[in-house]
Amino acid sequence: CFTFTSLFAQQDLPVSNGKQYTIGEISVVGAKQYNEQTVIAFTRLRPGEQVYLPGDRISNVIKKLWDLDLFSDINLYATINGDVVDLKFEIEEVPELNKVTITGIKEKKTKDIIKDNDLKKGTKVTENLITKTKYYIENKYKKEGYLNSKVTIITRPANDTLAGQKVDMLVNVELSDRVKIEEIEFIGNDELSDSKLRKQMKNTKQKNLIRFWKRSKYIAENYAEDKVSVIDKYKEKGFRDARIVSDTLIKSGEDLITLKLTVEEGDKYYIGDIDFLGNTVYSDRELARQLGLEKGDVYNGVLLKERISKDGDPNADDLSNLYKNSGYLFSSINPVETNVENDTIDFEIRITEGKLAYFDRITITGNDKTKDRVIYRNLRTRPGQRYSQAAVLQTTRELGQTGFFDPEQLNPQFLNANPYDGTIDINYALVEQGASQIELQGGYGGGGFVGTLGLSFNNFSIQNLFNKEAYKPLPMGDGQKFSLRAQASTFYQTYSASLVEPWLGGKKPVQLQLSFSHSVQYRFDFSGGGRARPDKDQRFLITGGSIGLAKRLEVPDNFFTISHAISFQHFDLKNYNVGLFTFGNGSSENLAYTIGISRNETDINPIFPRSGSKFNLTAKLAPPYSLWNGTDYKQLADDRAAALAAGDRQAVAEIDQERFNWLEYYKIKFEGQWFTSLIGKLVLSSKTEFGFLGAYNNDRGIPPFDRFFLGGDGLGGFALDGREVIRLRGYPNQSVLPQDRSENPDLDPNDGATIYNKFEFELRYPITLKPSASIYALVFAEAGSSFDNFRDYNPFLVNRSAGAGIRIFMPAFGLLGIDFGYGFDPIPGTVGGPNGWETHFIIGQQF
Amino acid sequence: CSEYQKILKSEDMGAKYAFADSLYDIGKYRKSLKLWEQIVPSYRGKPQAERIMFLNADALYQVGDYYLSGYQFDRFVSSYPDSQKAEEAQYKAAMSYAALSPNYQLDQSETEKGLDQLQLFITAYPESEYADDASERIQELSVKLQKKSYEIAKGWHKIMDYPTAIAAFDDFLSDYPGSPFREAALFYKFDSQYQYGSKSISVLVKPRLNEAIEMYETLIRYFPEGEYREEADALREDIDAILENYS
Repeated sequence: CFTFTSLFAQQDLPVSNGKQYTIGEISVVGAKQYNEQTVIAFTRLRPGEQVYLPGDRISNVIKKLWDLDLFSDINLYATINGDVVDLKFEIEEVPELNKVTITGIKEKKTKDIIKDNDLKKGTKVTENLITKTKYYIENKYKKEGYLNSKVTIITRPANDTLAGQKVDMLVNVELSDRVKIEEIEFIGNDELSDSKLRKQMKNTKQKNLIRFWKRSKYIAENYAEDKVSVIDKYKEKGFRDARIVSDTLIKSGEDLITLKLTVEEGDKYYIGDIDFLGNTVYSDRELARQLGLEKGDVYNGVLLKERISKDGDPNADDLSNLYKNSGYLFSSINPVETNVENDTIDFEIRITEGKLAYFDRITITGNDKTKDRVIYRNLRTRPGQRYSQAAVLQTTRELGQTGFFDPEQLNPQFLNANPYDGTIDINYALVEQGASQIELQGGYGGGGFVGTLGLSFNNFSIQNLFNKEAYKPLPMGDGQKFSLRAQASTFYQTYSASLVEPWLGGKKPVQLQLSFSHSVQYRFDFSGGGRARPDKDQRFLITGGSIGLAKRLEVPDNFFTISHAISFQHFDLKNYNVGLFTFGNGSSENLAYTIGISRNETDINPIFPRSGSKFNLTAKLAPPYSLWNGTDYKQLADDRAAALAAGDRQAVAEIDQERFNWLEYYKIKFEGQWFTSLIGKLVLSSKTEFGFLGAYNNDRGIPPFDRFFLGGDGLGGFALDGREVIRLRGYPNQSVLPQDRSENPDLDPNDGATIYNKFEFELRYPITLKPSASIYALVFAEAGSSFDNFRDYNPFLVNRSAGAGIRIFMPAFGLLGIDFGYGFDPIPGTVGGPNGWETHFIIGQQF
Repeated sequence: CSEYQKILKSEDMGAKYAFADSLYDIGKYRKSLKLWEQIVPSYRGKPQAERIMFLNADALYQVGDYYLSGYQFDRFVSSYPDSQKAEEAQYKAAMSYAALSPNYQLDQSETEKGLDQLQLFITAYPESEYADDASERIQELSVKLQKKSYEIAKGWHKIMDYPTAIAAFDDFLSDYPGSPFREAALFYKFDSQYQYGSKSISVLVKPRLNEAIEMYETLIRYFPEGEYREEADALREDIDAILENYS
């Protein structure tokens, strides 16, 4: 333990005429909550000390006491006895707030007032607090249109405490009626009609029964803004001298006002000669084309400004961006009127090109999980490179798409712009967001309880898997994606794991992808009677894995990626006689090479892209074994047809086992999606898909594996045979089979299609895009169909549907959604009217 | 119900204070913290507050809750600048910030804050008994910042963006002239220029490699017997061999 002594080193300087005294007694009057000694100790004055009166020391003591905000009044009385002075502090303590009651407004609204003004129990009730609160409430209601509201605040001692220590605060709000605008009148406007001008006033509207979405209340702030909009409208029309000469506010009834604006339009002007001065990088002609304004055009001041530099739009196609995107960050462009003759204005556009700018220091802040190198290697703005605004935007976009950072808070900051050296620094301020997802499900399905556990870590660090220190709570920050998934019921189990390392070896952006999966399925055994049990003698086993590499390309542009993958699957059937396969005993090997090329140029937020497009083209190729394995597939096909005709299922199964021992096929898929910003936040997503599965050897035929199944929610879920499940809402899952199935007895109704196409339009509107949860609503219209061969192919023979839905993305759970779709056409193979409504739950599916 | 639980629930601030004090004295900081939390507000503005605030902050410091201890020590220093304990508090505030400094590959705001605070401490109390420890920590933190800057530059070298690596090494070398990574930086800058030059189109090979030779000379001038000497000499020979084809 230790004790404290206070050290006094404060200087005391006399104010002019100050005289030195010795302090005699110090006393405090009026202390209630604090005892006298506490206050004296706080002043640090001691009897016997020398002080000047008046002097710095004493004034500082009083100031310090005031600064505590604990006293509402402080008086110092000095009684002088020769050289000795007795000091008496008379203080009045500030009471604490006990309870606050707000009357005159709805209870719900009082909460905000209490919160914003910190009116909680124990707050010191100073004059300042009362004034501030009063001003706050009055202002709040003024903004809402209650111009003449009155707020009174009184305090009175609380009942249960000693007088003066605690007070209750009573706030009464007397809301006036909202002041509404009866009419907005314009005087002096010949060129633009009253209604046109009124339309410019976005937030100041006169009363109108039809317009119910915007109220006609009067708010001074908005009115001031709207007056500027009126003048801007004139400027757009060539009236560059237009101004509002006067505006009056007339009370035209109980809570009604009329606004009268007198405008002076001035003359209408036209553009004369435009000269460019100071340009060396771009020629006059190039600049004129970029400017897009010509001699004789109406002089539109607003447009002229926008064509030179449009505020708030870093992508604008204007003159200053023309310079900035080619490295002239320090350029400045000023239009100057050089000559006004009658109604024609000549211009000089004066350009100071400045030095070419280069990036100097590039820094990253806010990465408290993700390691530097994971971020730096993706930057397109690098030290020593020439400045480019487009590179900054692309870097921001790509950082957002990693999913490690909140895309809505990504913020490149330009620092230390140095026009003399021609350098600029950038700091990317990032905010990390949860990049791991967990999926835990339990439910009944497939004849028993089904449990699913899925873990997906998007910013994993596999090299730290065995490093105990790195677990906080998981090894993170190396940018790898690692997922594990297990699903099990009594009838089947499936396990899978995958790892994606975006920079294999750390030298080049070559993405390595590894995956492994194993699943086993048993048939039902009803022999026990009643409940089904799994029969371990009838099983189907699939084990597979894949390894892939993907590389970003530089040509044709750097949005392209090329990928290669080799995958292998082993199917093993034992007594597994279901309609899915024509043979119940045997095995199949599916070895294939997939090459893909894709382009992704969607904007910054991967969950809710507002612009851009993406394309994906893949070809999956199995080796053409029939070229060299010496089997006579023609003979086999004939034998099979004969066996089929004889109804010998055993022989068909044996032949099929031989046909499909090593799967031989090729598969081509294309997918394209475009995002277009319509009005405000409304985004249109248009998508088209196409897939084709073919055989090299027509006698051997197309295998029953790897086929397309159209219809429903599109969730892969538990897929036995490498099938591809394609979403088509408004129809039951996997129901949209080729039209000719019912007519062609050769085809197995359980097989998927070999050709499909699909078109989809979706209008999306974001409800919230916060990092904790992104939610958007959508309406869709889509159409799709599948075929067995190109002879039947008809892209217009489709199953159509439309509907609406909602999506919720939470970083910890991934994407969840529900869609209601109406199918306009009958399910293929059935007769009758439209399929009608279907409900689809979407889990974890990507967009 | 233990005595601790009883006191935790009681309203008697005096008893809480005494008990918290005794827990603190025997090193049971975590237990004492819960009591300090309750006591601090009710002693605000009273003479005991100075001591209570310090002990609360120190208990946080001892249990390793550096986020809060830094903040509480800071508040203590600004409330009681003349206190006998101000020096220790300021030291511990700075050390708290320094303790929050993460791995060099992550955001270093905390490191910079720790550095600033330690520097302020040494300026305010140059004779302090803690001054040596503080300077040592300053040294450690600045080396961490240097390592960060060096590794970023080396990252560009690794992904074979040599011009960027050269620019980044230049920034590093001018920012930290006395760094322990100086030799490595000079070497990798030289290596970057060598790689850049030797892979250029033919007309540029010679001027770029000549620049690399200058970088080599700078390296061996400063570190004639450095650990990169051998590697550098080998590259130098390579350069001579390539230049022969261009002479």
